[in-house]
Amino acid sequence: MMSEKRLQALDVCKTFGVIKAVQNVSIDFNAGEIHGLIGENGSGKSTLVQMLTGIVPIDRGRFILDGKEIHVRDQVEANKEGISIIVQELGTLSGLTVAENIFLGHEDRFVKYGIKNTNAMVKEANELLKQYGFERINAAEMIDRYNFEDRKLVEIVKSTYFFPKVVVIDETTTALSQEGREELYKHMNRIREEGNTVIFISHDLPEVLDKCDRVSVLRDGVYIDTVNAKDVTEDDLKKLMVGRELGEHYYREDYGEKISDEVVLSARGVTVPGLIEDVSFDLHKGEILGFGGLSECGMHEVGKAVFGASYDREGSVTLADGTEVDSIITAIRHSVAYASKDRDNESIVINESIGDNICLPSLDELGGRSRILKDRNLRAFAEKHAKAMAVKMVNTDQYVSELSGGNKQKVVLARWIGKDSDIIVLDSPTRGIDVKVKADIYALMDQMRKEGKSIIMISEEIMELIGMCDRIIIMKDGKNSGEELYRDPSLSENDLIARMV
Amino acid sequence: MMDSYAIKKGEVLEDGKAMKNSVFTASKVRTFLPVIALVAVALAFNILSGGKLLAPANIKLLLSQVYVTMIAATGVFFIMTMGGLDFSQGSILGVSSLVFCFLSKYSILLAIIGGIVAGACIGAFNGYFYVKRKVKSFVVTICTMFLFRGVIEFATTNAPIQANIVKTVSLNNDGLKMTVTLVVLITAYFFFRYTKFGKHLKAIGAGEKAAAFSGIATDKMKFWVYVLSGAITGLAAFISAIKVGSVTANSGSRLETQIMIALVLGGMPISGGAKVKFENVVIGSVLYIVLNAGLVTVGLDPAMQQLIEGIIFLIVVAITSDRTTTQIVK
Repeated sequence: MMSEKRLQALDVCKTFGVIKAVQNVSIDFNAGEIHGLIGENGSGKSTLVQMLTGIVPIDRGRFILDGKEIHVRDQVEANKEGISIIVQELGTLSGLTVAENIFLGHEDRFVKYGIKNTNAMVKEANELLKQYGFERINAAEMIDRYNFEDRKLVEIVKSTYFFPKVVVIDETTTALSQEGREELYKHMNRIREEGNTVIFISHDLPEVLDKCDRVSVLRDGVYIDTVNAKDVTEDDLKKLMVGRELGEHYYREDYGEKISDEVVLSARGVTVPGLIEDVSFDLHKGEILGFGGLSECGMHEVGKAVFGASYDREGSVTLADGTEVDSIITAIRHSVAYASKDRDNESIVINESIGDNICLPSLDELGGRSRILKDRNLRAFAEKHAKAMAVKMVNTDQYVSELSGGNKQKVVLARWIGKDSDIIVLDSPTRGIDVKVKADIYALMDQMRKEGKSIIMISEEIMELIGMCDRIIIMKDGKNSGEELYRDPSLSENDLIARMV
Repeated sequence: MMDSYAIKKGEVLEDGKAMKNSVFTASKVRTFLPVIALVAVALAFNILSGGKLLAPANIKLLLSQVYVTMIAATGVFFIMTMGGLDFSQGSILGVSSLVFCFLSKYSILLAIIGGIVAGACIGAFNGYFYVKRKVKSFVVTICTMFLFRGVIEFATTNAPIQANIVKTVSLNNDGLKMTVTLVVLITAYFFFRYTKFGKHLKAIGAGEKAAAFSGIATDKMKFWVYVLSGAITGLAAFISAIKVGSVTANSGSRLETQIMIALVLGGMPISGGAKVKFENVVIGSVLYIVLNAGLVTVGLDPAMQQLIEGIIFLIVVAITSDRTTTQIVK
């Protein structure tokens, strides 16, 4: 393998207010390698690559590309230097066509005498999409017509078509289905074979070990070590990330516990036009019911439908006391909670404080009979639940927008635990979250289950479904794919995959 | 599970202590800047006008101007908190004054109620097109501004509409006006600050979709806040009408701009949301009136006043708008 240095980070620093996000980090990235970058939420991975690509300005330190120091002020300049990034959240712009998104910042190529040649742009974009094997995406269409996953595929094209020297992939795989991931891996390997560099950020450690040549670890903004992927195990990586041994217990360990006969929620013939069709199931007291499938199978809509948040839903969702859940307000009032996959838009009010977010669904209870909300009570309530979830924060007045993904999810869980909901719908609860917070969330789910709460867990991660659920329903093309799978030590990934495709 | 947090918890506490100071001072500056501005503006104009601005007689005059703006600003404050805008306040004031003057011939109580109902109806009209027909709020309210200004002009084509002077003159005293203003402010403050009404408004302003997913009836809330704001301005029309005694084609015009400038001067973020404070209404309205009166007392002609107000508005918005949370103003 080549070991020529492609990119060097030298003593790079970044501070946000008083938080030292990145402290004197120096890492060498070689040409022709896939270089993993791992660390817990808030360890500075994203900040480091955002400085590299000009998304946030650099405080101190240098980036050297092919022996030359680079100063980029935005992503377009980064592209011109040969550096591109696929970001964690949505990186495509709504209101533009697919083609306009692919060539964003590089429209000059298609401009002649001050007029943009849209046809040429669309044509070239379509050719690129075809080369990548994404023919089903039409470059002339508005990007908004496509779902999250397809938009990520467009981003892959956008950030790799011009043969950049360094491509950063920031926690993208968790947003993709298995097929989407395979596509991404293919292009990662291609970039490596062309002698260029991939910086790959992921929380999925088996994936990191499998795909990367070398792996660098950050912890609390500090560089820890770089290791060869083939010399280490998953546990070694975890140890490096956390700085100490993690317990053995990750998923649930019990088997053969009887599921209660008491049904707390039953869905009958639930249909949401274009998304799900005739879905029926019962949720029992104290069980974790899993929904799995490919990302477009409709399972995410099942969560919304149960919570009364779907448009044009047909069929019924009935609680044990006979209440029909037909709106979010009814759902919340009758102890149903929901954490969306789209955390920033649906699970939390992003521009509000941690405290307001935790208190929001519980204001009626907090007001008591007089309905008067006292600051002292609100603060005490928010602090109690934020601390129980160990949200890493300054205080409850801090805005959620400043928190990392894992901490945001803790705030989401804190608010529903505060509400003391009995039925909890968790859509992709560990998306983009590091191993330690994941373990916390699993432990919390297990604890809630033992307290008699019922959980619906919707997930694209097969292992966590197998590890956590009492029963698993696999969805395919908007429908239930058949008999549910029961908790069993012999249940394997392949059993689930076989039903998904 | 809690065991694994032992280390992290320690860190949280340390971080918390270290950071408390900086956060504290930053938010203080934000809160007190409008107050400092108010004191500075008042003192500066007082010196420029040779002590005329803050002379007791003038203070009484200043107060008499502040009531209407302050009451009407309370309703707009609610609308802006949830991220909306309202340009129709001037026309609402005009129409409500019209109704008040007309009905004052029969009974003052009926006239007050009539004014409030008229305001609420226009608010409902705004709310219907904004919420049900999904037209952006500034478009809807600009339309209603013109529409109802037309109504007022039509009604006053021949002559101004007179109120029943005998009855209204006896009401035109500062005690009553101040009482009404205080009642509105205190009630609004209480509900905004200490009930879920205020929390819900802020949540809608900070993220409407997430607010809906937290169990807030966002559409219902948006509609009724427009109705409420219209009703409050309908009440302000009562205060306005007993002072003026009649309605002309221009009654209430430019009130919407006055309110918006007042709120922004008071430190209100233009996109609403969590950083909104009720003090914005009070300080902003007073600051606006003092500034206005100050410009008059130093002898500027009205055309120059508007120009200067426009420039100040632009500067304040440019300085104070919070770009980290700015979203599209609806």
